[in-house]
Amino acid sequence: MKTLIIFTLVLCCFQSTFSQNTQTFGKGNIKGVTVNASSNASKGIKTLMSTGYIPNPKASSRFLSQATLGPKLSEILSLQNQGIEPWLDEQFAMNPNFNLQNYVQNMHQSMVDSLKLQNPAGNYTLNNVFIDDWAFDVAWFQANMVSMDKLRWRVSLALSQIFVTSRISAFDNNPYALASYYDMLNKNAFGNYRSLIDSVTYHPAMAVYLTYLNNHATDTLAISTTNQTKKKVFPDENYAREIMQLFSIGLFELNNNGTEKKDISGKSIPTYDNDDIGNLAKVFTGLSWSHSRYLGDNNNVNDWSYTKRLKFFPVDSSEKYTRWWANPNTWRIVNGHEPGPKTFLNQTIVARPVADGQLDIRDALDIIFNHPNVGPFMAKRLIQHLVSSNPSSEFIDRIASVFNNNGIGVRGDLKAVVRAILLDPEARDCCAEKENTAYGHLREPFLRYMNLINGMGLTNQSGIYRNVMVDLYDRIEQKPLYSPSVFNFYQPGYVPGGPLQAAGKVGPEFQMLNSLSFSNYMNALHKWIISNDPIEYWSIFNNEFYKSDQEPKFNITADYVLAKDNRIKEFLDKYNLILAQGRIKAENMSIIQNVLLSMPITFDINGVPDPTLADRRLRMGIFLIMIAPDYLINK
Amino acid sequence: MNRRNFIKNVGCGAMGSTTLLSSLTSLGALNGLTNFNKNAPGEDYKAIVCILFSGGIDSFNMLMPTGTTVNGDNGFSEYLALRTDLAVAQTPSSFLALNNPQCSSFRGQNCAYSAFGVHPQMSGIRDLFNDGKLAFMSNIGTLIEPILTPNEYQNSLKKIPLGIYSHSDQIMQWQTSVPQSRDALGVGGRMADILNANNANNGISMNISLAGKNVFQRGQSVSEYSISDNVDPNNVGLQSFPSWWGNQGLLQEMRTNAIDSLVGQTYSNLLQKTYSATAKESMASFEIFKEALKRVPTISTTFPNTSLAGDLAAITKVMSVRQQLGTKRQIFFVNYGGWDMHDGLLGGLNGKLPVVSQAMKAFYDSTVELGISENVTTFTISDFARTLTSNGNGSDHAWGGNNMIMGGAVNGGRIFGAYPKMDLSSANNRNISYRGNFIPTVSTDEMYAEIALWYGVSPSDLCYVLPNLGNFYSYAANNYPIGFMNFNQSPISTTNHPLGCLNY
Repeated sequence: MKTLIIFTLVLCCFQSTFSQNTQTFGKGNIKGVTVNASSNASKGIKTLMSTGYIPNPKASSRFLSQATLGPKLSEILSLQNQGIEPWLDEQFAMNPNFNLQNYVQNMHQSMVDSLKLQNPAGNYTLNNVFIDDWAFDVAWFQANMVSMDKLRWRVSLALSQIFVTSRISAFDNNPYALASYYDMLNKNAFGNYRSLIDSVTYHPAMAVYLTYLNNHATDTLAISTTNQTKKKVFPDENYAREIMQLFSIGLFELNNNGTEKKDISGKSIPTYDNDDIGNLAKVFTGLSWSHSRYLGDNNNVNDWSYTKRLKFFPVDSSEKYTRWWANPNTWRIVNGHEPGPKTFLNQTIVARPVADGQLDIRDALDIIFNHPNVGPFMAKRLIQHLVSSNPSSEFIDRIASVFNNNGIGVRGDLKAVVRAILLDPEARDCCAEKENTAYGHLREPFLRYMNLINGMGLTNQSGIYRNVMVDLYDRIEQKPLYSPSVFNFYQPGYVPGGPLQAAGKVGPEFQMLNSLSFSNYMNALHKWIISNDPIEYWSIFNNEFYKSDQEPKFNITADYVLAKDNRIKEFLDKYNLILAQGRIKAENMSIIQNVLLSMPITFDINGVPDPTLADRRLRMGIFLIMIAPDYLINK
Repeated sequence: MNRRNFIKNVGCGAMGSTTLLSSLTSLGALNGLTNFNKNAPGEDYKAIVCILFSGGIDSFNMLMPTGTTVNGDNGFSEYLALRTDLAVAQTPSSFLALNNPQCSSFRGQNCAYSAFGVHPQMSGIRDLFNDGKLAFMSNIGTLIEPILTPNEYQNSLKKIPLGIYSHSDQIMQWQTSVPQSRDALGVGGRMADILNANNANNGISMNISLAGKNVFQRGQSVSEYSISDNVDPNNVGLQSFPSWWGNQGLLQEMRTNAIDSLVGQTYSNLLQKTYSATAKESMASFEIFKEALKRVPTISTTFPNTSLAGDLAAITKVMSVRQQLGTKRQIFFVNYGGWDMHDGLLGGLNGKLPVVSQAMKAFYDSTVELGISENVTTFTISDFARTLTSNGNGSDHAWGGNNMIMGGAVNGGRIFGAYPKMDLSSANNRNISYRGNFIPTVSTDEMYAEIALWYGVSPSDLCYVLPNLGNFYSYAANNYPIGFMNFNQSPISTTNHPLGCLNY
């Protein structure tokens, strides 16, 4: 039986905001874990045994900064009462309750209906009224303002940066393609990895992006009976390469703890060579649009084509349609799907009739899924996105083991993986940084924005938000499904120059940080906070009545009382907790406080601060918090 | 003392825009700078511009053989037979002919053809070539050491670049020229490490990027300063507070000082250290850059309205205030992406190659306008070339390909290296795949070495800039790595720097 040493933590800064007496159970690596006075002793014991967590405010905020897109104060307080594991159970139990594609279509339909109202003679339909890609962003933002399944949205954002497709592509202005793909990620976020890669592989937004839509078997036959010149066409290798390099196993063989295996001469061992790529490319042949009549059919493609699972064509019968007028004996009917065996990753998919080609795809995905690299590969990427850029090999090993077997013999259970990551001692331990000076990660620009939106408690009357996030992207160069390439906004192995490089550590998100993006970020903060313009509302059709409620501003009037000199510290502590998990160090808090104190403030006869001056003080404070290095690095 | 503090402490120490401006002016006087954008006779200024075509350009559809002599130079027919539905044209006359390109041989590999043309959309490049201001390098790629036969590759008798055919690795290796390592510094960064001391003013990095963070410009002591293509003093650094707030100047200064202090604190966490270092350096650079940009003259060269041309026009503007920036050596980096044409290749090239051609031509013309055309050398790089055979509507990842070097100091009008034979049979000792992937003949090391020697890196410092160079080349007077630079106005530097050789 362990002896519990009980400390009393004085929360001097928050007593006015939320007066709870709290006690902290301190023990080595779980310092800072707090139990409310009202909690019973067993919870405390569970805490110390790492089987349950009742966090103090900072630990609560810190957990939510990893498990959501940024906490609100109310969520921080509520998690303190609920505890982390019950919160996780509740989150995992929620089904995806916001369908982006439906939201886009409803918005689209309302455009059509409104245009019809304006001009009954106009023949408006979903097919002829153009809806732009930012409708997806409106839907995404709306979902994140109203959805309760915060964990799912955090995980799907991470998945969207691993299984990358992007609107910088042939579907650059199609919100349905983006919404459908993202709905698929949401659906699979807590499912099995094997289903996820099946859904990814058969999604048109991936097939177009990585160019295997209408991918064709090797063709070296004569062009036609009258033209004996031979074709010289081979399967497209794009998806074969990237599904292995980026979505599953990576370039080098891994140990279960994520380190690279070495051969006898100490060199890393490549997982595959170009022959493997050529063979796997043959597997991904014969897939086309769901409405296609033949392999290669690109007719009648519309926005919704991108929302339907690909269809398999074993045979290329295109000339039946493109040369329908010719004598059928002259039609060139060739294989659509590549026949014969396909060997890759030292395994062979046996030859079978091309009609059964989808079994080749199934087998190939099975081979990839069962490669021992997938566990450590996915473990590391998800940890990097949720918790820390440089997890210890022990951390990766623990999570990879959960991927390999969730405890009841199932491989690839993403729910178990996410739970294990967030409950891992290395994720929960506030002080892991003492052993690991590269602990934590740079908050990526889009997360900073969502931190601000949530942390400032942005809200309105109607509960409907219209945020196209166009200017936001121009400034911070990031929003969902807008990656510059399949290599994401930043690469997991990116090493910034300087101390991280010297220490042999990575800093993926630093790939986006430079002098220009730094000033762009500061000026974006200026716009959102100082100019109080966080949302970008666009009309969805000409002469639409402006719905100002859908473009809310940050309202901090309730904090004005804290703008007084003697209460500024309380204000800064509050936002330090919400935005920076209380991690901004005292020296920096003083620097910020001194700026605010040197800004003018006046009071009315009742001692109430002048609203304009109070507002400016507080906005300056939030602006500076979000530039502090101890905010930017979430650890 | 860093540059920013230096400025703050000049004169009476009062801060304000007037003080700042006058201190910059006096700095100019200190450095003995007069007027201004035109190249003063004997001005010691050199710039290199790296244009990255990210994604892997299909460069065998940029530079093509045009010969049709049966049993002679029959390059076009061979090209057509191999590229089938990816051939840019069905007749060689559709290509823009290059005058007597003198394609020779390299390391025992003969140039397969004698007649060449460029893509029909590249008239600007054709003109630059025929005017002697642009050269091609053929069958160049990432190599650790020469690979002379397919057998040496297939049986790993020679070292093979890591992650061959992978975008992320090959794009990195073209920028580091160290294909056996995944954590090497960039070539431009290492050159800057060597030559940075030549710059009087280190307030702005000598490496300026129009493409954000990149490996090419990363050195041990130098990192890039990223700018936008909107080169305007009002577009640099922090924007002002709204006028109705009052006391804007004071607020601005308070905020700036607070940010300086926040990022200037000591942090033990390495991520915080890394963030604050970038933030600090950026804060220090903004004012200097802003002030210098106020002196950008009117540039009369017309640039097309494309992203590449916009980036290159921005470089012209920055070079025009090189003296205000106190810099004698600059390295610029630009990315023009979208070349990963697994699909839609012919249309894709028709859209992008004219952008390249027009932008590079305008940029060259603008250096003539500034009087520095012989001081600026521009070259293109890309992840890799692409398979010669088709995947239906595009091409896949390959290895050796063709690139361009442009500038007044370039021995233009020639194709260096050795253009490979459009032949996938075993008779072609460059080919290693049924898809048509060629072992590079020329290494990136040799190209960079030639540029580095011209740029002022001494022969003994080359082993710091290019750690593998010894596998390909060793310096001797009048024996240059490839021969595409004209050294008449650029004697080989004898100033050595004590950085030592790098090994990976």
